[in-house]
Amino acid sequence: MDTGLLIQVILSGLSVGAIYALVAVGFGVIFNATGAINFVQGEYVMVGGLSAAMLYEAWDVPVLVAIVAAVAVTVLLGVLTEFGLLGFGRLRTPASITIATIAIAVIVKGSAMLISDRDTYALPSVLGTDSLQVLGASTSRQTVLNLLLAVAAVAALTLFFQCTKLGTTLRAAAGDSETLQTFGVSYRTTARWAFVIAAALGALAGAGLAPLTVMSFDSGTLLGLKGFAAAMLGGLGNPRGALAGGLLLGIAEAVMSGYGAAAYADVVAFVVLLAILTLRPTGMFGTARAVRT
Amino acid sequence: MRKKISTLLTCSVLLALSACGLGSSGSDTDSDDTIKIGTLFSVSGAGANLGDKMRKGAELAVKQVNADGGIDGKKIDWVFYDPAGDTSTAVQQTNRMLDSDGVELVVGGGGSSGIALAMDPITSGRGVAFIATEGARQIVEPAAEAHPLTFKTTFNDTVMVERLIAFWKANGITRVAFMPDTSSFGQSAQEELERLAPEAGIKVFTAAFDPAANDLTPQVKRLAGNDPQAYLAWTITPAGVTFLKNIRSVIGERDVMVMHGFGFVDDRYMEQAGAASTGTILVSPKLPVWDQIDASDPQQPVMEDFATAYAEEYGGEQPNVYAGQAYDAMMVAVAALRATGGDTDGEKIADAIEGLGTHVGVTGAFKFTADDHSGLTVDDVAVIQWDGSRFLPVE
Repeated sequence: MDTGLLIQVILSGLSVGAIYALVAVGFGVIFNATGAINFVQGEYVMVGGLSAAMLYEAWDVPVLVAIVAAVAVTVLLGVLTEFGLLGFGRLRTPASITIATIAIAVIVKGSAMLISDRDTYALPSVLGTDSLQVLGASTSRQTVLNLLLAVAAVAALTLFFQCTKLGTTLRAAAGDSETLQTFGVSYRTTARWAFVIAAALGALAGAGLAPLTVMSFDSGTLLGLKGFAAAMLGGLGNPRGALAGGLLLGIAEAVMSGYGAAAYADVVAFVVLLAILTLRPTGMFGTARAVRT
Repeated sequence: MRKKISTLLTCSVLLALSACGLGSSGSDTDSDDTIKIGTLFSVSGAGANLGDKMRKGAELAVKQVNADGGIDGKKIDWVFYDPAGDTSTAVQQTNRMLDSDGVELVVGGGGSSGIALAMDPITSGRGVAFIATEGARQIVEPAAEAHPLTFKTTFNDTVMVERLIAFWKANGITRVAFMPDTSSFGQSAQEELERLAPEAGIKVFTAAFDPAANDLTPQVKRLAGNDPQAYLAWTITPAGVTFLKNIRSVIGERDVMVMHGFGFVDDRYMEQAGAASTGTILVSPKLPVWDQIDASDPQQPVMEDFATAYAEEYGGEQPNVYAGQAYDAMMVAVAALRATGGDTDGEKIADAIEGLGTHVGVTGAFKFTADDHSGLTVDDVAVIQWDGSRFLPVE
């Protein structure tokens, strides 16, 4: 057994898995607040990565400045998404919101295509181009940063949901938004905060992904679906589950690339998604929500 | 953006003026004064970037021909559709072009081999000639038996693979790690390489990757175990940038040849890979090094005129090989139409194309025959190297 290859497969899986995890956490945040699946989540990653790379190239600003600006742009898009979905007062059921997010995702992608003039854009890593040697394998330093980012995001969100008033409100909204509204908490306000958080997470994922590849208007869609699979794998709405789901999915894909047929690496995510939906819809770490009727 | 709008305005004003001026022929564009050529390129959807370059190449050809007085006095009336990379949309649009729009000749197959392959039975079924700009050799092979009316202005991957093998033999390379993507572009090249390389005494180790992959280190690491002298990727997607970065990361400073196929010849991709792309060797049409090849090459002035006119038309933008292929396809159609005296009958056009002799284009010196509807040979292939800022020819 070639241990170098094994380590390489694991590193590759963690590198891509960290991005999946960040996307998966975003799905969970929106699900908790609205009960809907937000298919714009993948496009947040695209907008975050693409706008950071475009700003970097156009303005020649430091990478960090470009990233901060890109997060701001994406958060604004998150607020607009919420307005587009709930601002007209017609959509209230999770199913209708979910379907509307698909429409918004298409609009965002189309706009990005026109704004970027169909070009690809690159963003250098804040940590430089040197690679990191680990036990006979190698990875970029960006991988470590992405992993730290994913872990920090999950820890921060867990704390936020458990220990802050807004976090508690968001959790309560997930549990029973109607009762919460009788206490004078606006459904719109909680939803808007959820979209702000989800968009920021997406933008960070995009900024973390861009140095590993290049970004184009087309970078987000498939990533969104894989992030969704990761979220389902870990249990939708559970940040720690999302982290585990993302990393596991990344490693499963890397194993396919390294040992099996790469042609099927992409299929892994969707086989996992199907299996989870059929066998254990609450995910590995999720618990079924008790519903009183 | 402003330039685009002003171009649009200019065009529409010119159109309005010409319609008024002609007067007698009325506003009906399907008259004897024009020849309707239909084109499909995916300027939106996944391959939008390449589709946009192809559209510009074809558009430039149409503008040049019309500015020169057209074909025996007939202007080209250009009908354009965007199938957005979707084959079923492309099929509908092809039908509409031929049934409702009165298109007499089709140039450009949607920017993807899958679309071109689906369009071919439709155009052939109506006896219309079709000049594709897509890569797969199946679009035109076997020419005489199955595709008498269909041509293409791109290289067959067989030709590229033959050139590669000659290059490896000349450089003493016998062990090659091959990384095609899982699209038909990559898989078709894999078939040809695994068929032709063993005969030449070259061992090929293959690990495919998904075109949407963001990390290829597992494949590179696995191939590195075979101690190859060269790594060759075959893709048109941004994953090729990841390939370059990952190679440098995994094999470090070890002295190996890093190579890309002709689908990845693009300055922007090379620049985006940063330091990792320096020294990358590619098989390519000669266009990227048009200003550095022997001036006695008959292709040189054609490429120079094209590059100059393209940059002038599109705000200083440099054309890439995709723009060149589309320009060639339109110009081959025009040359054939001149030969038939404007007759658009499919069989007459096909005979005319096969009778062109040598058509010196941007992509190569095309020699179409009844059995070869691609027309390009290894002599048209250049081996080029990215030196960190531009492509240079490799001896």
